[in-house]
Amino acid sequence: MRMCNQARRPHEWMGVSPTPRPHPPRPAAEIVRLHTTPADGTEDEWGALMAAAHAGHAAAYRRLLDDLRKWLGRFYARRLPPSMVEDAVQDTLVAIHEKRHTYDPQRPFKPWLMAVARYKWIDRLRAMGRHGTEALPDDIAVDDHESSVTSQVVLQHLMAELKPAQAEAIRLVKIEGYSVAEASARTGQSDSLIKVNIHRGLARLAAIVQSRPDAE
Amino acid sequence: MPSDLLIDRLVDGLRPTRRPATLRQGAVLLALAGVELAGFLSLGTLRPDIATAAGLSVFWWKMGGLASLALAATTVALRSFDPLSSPRSELRRWMAVLAGVFVLGWVLDAGSQPGLGLGARLMWQMGIECLTVMTILSTPLVLALLLMMRRGAPTDLGASATAAGAAAATAGAFIFAFHCPSDDPFYIVFWYTLGCGAITMLSRALLPRLARW
Repeated sequence: MRMCNQARRPHEWMGVSPTPRPHPPRPAAEIVRLHTTPADGTEDEWGALMAAAHAGHAAAYRRLLDDLRKWLGRFYARRLPPSMVEDAVQDTLVAIHEKRHTYDPQRPFKPWLMAVARYKWIDRLRAMGRHGTEALPDDIAVDDHESSVTSQVVLQHLMAELKPAQAEAIRLVKIEGYSVAEASARTGQSDSLIKVNIHRGLARLAAIVQSRPDAE
Repeated sequence: MPSDLLIDRLVDGLRPTRRPATLRQGAVLLALAGVELAGFLSLGTLRPDIATAAGLSVFWWKMGGLASLALAATTVALRSFDPLSSPRSELRRWMAVLAGVFVLGWVLDAGSQPGLGLGARLMWQMGIECLTVMTILSTPLVLALLLMMRRGAPTDLGASATAAGAAAATAGAFIFAFHCPSDDPFYIVFWYTLGCGAITMLSRALLPRLARW
């Protein structure tokens, strides 16, 4: 059964303040109540839903994945080019499914989710360097172009830490969809230098992300 | 594939799961090392002078140092398979323990009077045999740690692979040490570091590719 997803915080309908962490395991009755009661999916509730999924509760799991899909969409929209967001979301949902047994219900859910999402983000950054990028045609239709560009706040912030030539090559080829030759003409860098700067810049980005904690 | 369809498939594929327990995994590795040691010694490889060697401080430095390093690296590796764990700081502490073992070996070496040149003390032929057997003994442990790594969700694959390689290498060296007739700290530091270093670097290069998720 598909669960509805109304916007109410758990403490509003549970009559309790957000649970301090780490918290004790929830009784089975409470888990059942959580995954049959509408909520907006805060991390504390997500932990209970995942604990229920560990026991094989499909309805709780579906609701959790529906909530996580939206959260991951926002997470990656700030960190990846728009064309990569949906793939990253789906890839991460599969990873969450395959690695769900590594979540400990005794611990808060959000740090676990962040760890998986960051790992997949780093993986995507590295993959951007490995895979070629096809240039976009000039007349391609772009939805919500402004929000797509301005929403990559975290990515843009991180790119400021790269050498300007690396950041420029990544921005033109990997984000704005120019071919290597076009980027070369615009920047004055040779084709091979553009490729080298993309490769090194993305490797550096992945290293920066891995080396520091990330906020949502 | 639309996300709705993906979620349908993931929900359809939901089965009850059990968390991997670090203690249980540690016990499995300990049992595997025990079986390896028993098998190795059943080939008649136990050094014949082990009773005499047990009276030497160098022997206990070698066995105690390797056992400590193996246990510490195994702990670091197993903990690193949790996505929330970052093994880099623990690896640095492990390196500090390694440095301590080296310093102790240097002190023991300075207190002895071997009377041979460094080249002669290396005993190349025996050293190559050390490397070969150590590598063979480490292989099952590397494979076991790889399986555990794949079952877990390490988020720093390079550091986890390094810890796993160091754990398997030092455990393999510990098993081999029951056979190794040398109690010369210089020989042990040189060849064991070479062997363990090679296995660790090989693991660092290969395991991230095999355990990627």
